[in-house]
Amino acid sequence: MSEPQPVVDFDFHGKALDTIFDDYQLMLESKPVGHSSKYGGFWYITKSEDIFQAEQDPDTWSVAPGMMMPPMGTEMPLIPIDIDPPEHGLFRKLLLPMFTPMEIKKLEPGMHATAQELAEQVRTAFATDPVVDVSTRFARPYPTIIFSRLAGYPEDDWPMFDRWIDEIIYDRTKSPEKAQAAGDELIAYVTRLVDHGRAGNAQGGIMGALLQKTVNGRPLTDEELLSYGYLLFLAGLDTTAWALRSSLWYLARNQEAQRLLRAEPERIPDAVEEFLRTLSPVQAMARTAKRDTVVRGQKIKAGERVALVFGAGNRDPEIYENPDDIDVTRENNRHLAFGGGIHRCLGSNLGRKELVIALTHFLATVADFEPAAEEPWHGVGSLRLRLSGGE
Amino acid sequence: MTGLSIDQSRCQGHARCYMLAPDTFLIDEEGYGHVIEGREGAYQEEHVRKAVRNCPERSIKVIAPGPAA
Repeated sequence: MSEPQPVVDFDFHGKALDTIFDDYQLMLESKPVGHSSKYGGFWYITKSEDIFQAEQDPDTWSVAPGMMMPPMGTEMPLIPIDIDPPEHGLFRKLLLPMFTPMEIKKLEPGMHATAQELAEQVRTAFATDPVVDVSTRFARPYPTIIFSRLAGYPEDDWPMFDRWIDEIIYDRTKSPEKAQAAGDELIAYVTRLVDHGRAGNAQGGIMGALLQKTVNGRPLTDEELLSYGYLLFLAGLDTTAWALRSSLWYLARNQEAQRLLRAEPERIPDAVEEFLRTLSPVQAMARTAKRDTVVRGQKIKAGERVALVFGAGNRDPEIYENPDDIDVTRENNRHLAFGGGIHRCLGSNLGRKELVIALTHFLATVADFEPAAEEPWHGVGSLRLRLSGGE
Repeated sequence: MTGLSIDQSRCQGHARCYMLAPDTFLIDEEGYGHVIEGREGAYQEEHVRKAVRNCPERSIKVIAPGPAA
């Protein structure tokens, strides 16, 4: 028997995601901190405890020049994820009250209505087509609609959004120029929204609220508003679409889990946590060492980039029993899907609620379903399903 | 002081405690978690234990009374 090959040039985007869970097993077992030459070179950190400790230590780990690796269509630092303390706290404090469970609750009637409407469209589509792409019809439009309402982006503009997402997020590893061009379009779009609001037009949602906010006693600058607007867009749309798609991807392939959640929908919140742990849209986020440091015996020099590999930490056998099993009844699930520490995902309450409501309506409305094609677990591409027991 | 408390220096407002045990935890207007007054002793209830175990920041402290107390 040959020794397992070590993971060379670890990557966590695109095609690499097909086999990334095998990579994680090898890395966690034999090289929990290692180096990849991708994206200008970075160290990866895979153990849950090491990731947790790094996130609690912004004095050692900076988010500059950016938390996204590679950057997402812009070199502009995004507020608040790409800035360090002490400025970070000032800017995050403006947003946090807008994402509490109480605030998110106000969006719930709209989430229920949109989820139900889209689920009924899927059910109707199955009446005429044996195969339906539920990514295009359900997983993608749902978060776009919910998020745009919350952010205050006009409803008529929504059709452009998914193209920008595809080009900025998914094409950036293959074609940085295309991502940059889409990023420029998004910047121009948010700039128009800010100008529109500055000109005294009523603005709803988060962008409207931010126009009224102050930091250190002064209003936000155009650059700051633009940065917030850009980030909210990137953070709120494709992550939820991916999580919803990957949850349905799994349920199509696991009839037992699908039956259980149909019979006992009160288990859906725990199931959502398990899907987030194992199939999360955010497999890693970047940091930069501010000083020479050591992680699990590995020296890392000041200025070197690291990837905190949440997806690997979420499958760390030291933390989870049978870490690679997806168990929708798992209750002990303190996963890293939303990160932790001062940069933890601000939209976690929103994302979780969106997922629970969407899955609840989908399962209550669409009959038993199964895969109609081999498709990857990751991304926001098509998810073609058919109803079970057809032929 | 025995019972439940939240280390405010660690809480980042994930609100897992509130979602799992809304009878025991609340979220303030800024977004941070607190133990509801009078519920500090609820740490043995199953749903509260689940909330403690699922706090991503490990910020919920439980100080149980000593065996002799």
